[in-house]
Amino acid sequence: MKINLEILESAYIYAPKEIEDLQTKELVPKMITRRRLTRAAKIAIYLADKVSFGNGRIVYGSSFGELGVTAKILHSIDAKESISPTHFQNSVYNTAVSYLSMLTNNENEIMTIASGDNTSQNVLKAGAIKAMDGDILLLMAIETLDIEKIEEVNHCIDFLECAVALKVKYTEKEATIDMSSLHHTEATPASLFHMLNVAKGMHSNKANIIEVTL
Amino acid sequence: MKIKNKVFITTTSSSTCAGENNKTLFGNICNAKSGIKQNKNYFHGSTPAIGKLCSDNTFHNELLLQCQNILDQSNLKNFEETLLIIGSSVGGMATTEEIYFKTHNYKNIDPNFHHINTIVNVLNKKFDFYDDISFSTACTSSTNAIGYAHEVLSKGLYKHALVVGVDSLSQTTVGGFLTLGVLSSQPCKPFDVSRDGMNVAEAIACVLLESEPSASAVEVCGVGYSSDAYHMTHPHPDGKGAVSAMSKALLMASLKPEQIDYINAHGTGTIANDNAEANAIATLFPHKPYISSTKSITGHTLGAAGALEAIIACMAIEAQTIPKNTFLDVPENNKLNLPVVSFECNIDYVLSNSFAFGGNNCSLIFRKVK
Repeated sequence: MKINLEILESAYIYAPKEIEDLQTKELVPKMITRRRLTRAAKIAIYLADKVSFGNGRIVYGSSFGELGVTAKILHSIDAKESISPTHFQNSVYNTAVSYLSMLTNNENEIMTIASGDNTSQNVLKAGAIKAMDGDILLLMAIETLDIEKIEEVNHCIDFLECAVALKVKYTEKEATIDMSSLHHTEATPASLFHMLNVAKGMHSNKANIIEVTL
Repeated sequence: MKIKNKVFITTTSSSTCAGENNKTLFGNICNAKSGIKQNKNYFHGSTPAIGKLCSDNTFHNELLLQCQNILDQSNLKNFEETLLIIGSSVGGMATTEEIYFKTHNYKNIDPNFHHINTIVNVLNKKFDFYDDISFSTACTSSTNAIGYAHEVLSKGLYKHALVVGVDSLSQTTVGGFLTLGVLSSQPCKPFDVSRDGMNVAEAIACVLLESEPSASAVEVCGVGYSSDAYHMTHPHPDGKGAVSAMSKALLMASLKPEQIDYINAHGTGTIANDNAEANAIATLFPHKPYISSTKSITGHTLGAAGALEAIIACMAIEAQTIPKNTFLDVPENNKLNLPVVSFECNIDYVLSNSFAFGGNNCSLIFRKVK
């Protein structure tokens, strides 16, 4: 079964450590809210703005979720210290898109997928299936792996913060982007490979349509 | 897109603190035998009341056993044409903790057995699935997984879908909820005026969904999603997001509110959740359907709760029995019909609610197949 998606807008960003200048001050003027945001939440808000997505269904993906606060909780327990309530409430995998929904007053269906290395591929599949209903969706995948001593487990990823967003709708037109010919080669997280490939293969002069195979 | 196929729950299997199988679980729910016990092994000597699996198996072996039960009880010979859909909020966190607290570094942690996809990696060692996908939306994880199974089967995209709702306990989970001040030291009392919090618990709940009914199948006829867009941990006090999710599920099922016979509430036992959910139900269901929370028996099984409570809904329909509100003494909201004894009655439609951190909401409606 194949479903075609038109990519209406796309954005991606990655950096060896922290991504700089996410324009958080401008995008989240209230300091009390801004202070609670995780790295992934700041990136999600930045990317949603880049692809001009305000309200609608979102399919989000992250293989490792909120690794920064998860590690802080682990360290607190190990040191027999109390856990920060903010760290705990921010530790769920759907944190980033939940903050995004609050800031944009988005009351729609918002899914979070965590399928290991297949995460962004599964975001594309779920997004394609949902797009069959006819609405415009935001598909987004983010990894934020820049935590202290990550080198103890990370031996292959050079870009510890990495994110991609695609604004999509269902189409019956033929694919214009050949997914098999795209080979994103930089050492970004494998979990973002498929969506990064799409974002990097975008044409500037014609419709961008991909074929998603279930 | 128009729905092409009806979707049925044909086979289920579960393991909880209140029983190693569905029959024991439902018996304990109806007979007020809670699996919740005080436990001081999880967080710096605190003694919250929590729910551990009854089984003597390791958690992963129990997970494999529950999926094998599905194969043994269904018409499937294998899972080669089945989409595996996981719903979990913590994945392999307990394994990560075990290693980290021994070594105090990350060197021996296998990332593939830390994240949510750990569950898929464990199951793929024994079974071959057509494909897999894992949802992690905190306490709605496996409810959303059932919603997704309904979507792909009703659109005719896959033949079978196995939803596995699964969460084990970890120090992060128990300590985190303790920090939020929402854990009770006794089995919880959802909707009671003197309730003092919830019980976190572990569970494995497997639900096979197919487009053709089996002899004892229950139809999934409504799914409703919403986001509160309000607060990370507090629901909107009027239950705005809950009303939206339940309304959308009713719309999909083409039902009027008064056709719902029983609501299996999210009913965690926390002040905020029960207040918001009670307000939402009272607003949408003035005809006063029977409502109960079964979490005083099973605990709040987090990412597994949606699939587990789908099984309880199916058993309520099969037994034509309303499960009671164990430990409820004085209801806080007098607009709700909260039975304190289990009893037989005609049940055609059951609605089951799940709400999560981040304001993620999902309601499911189940129909008796006549």
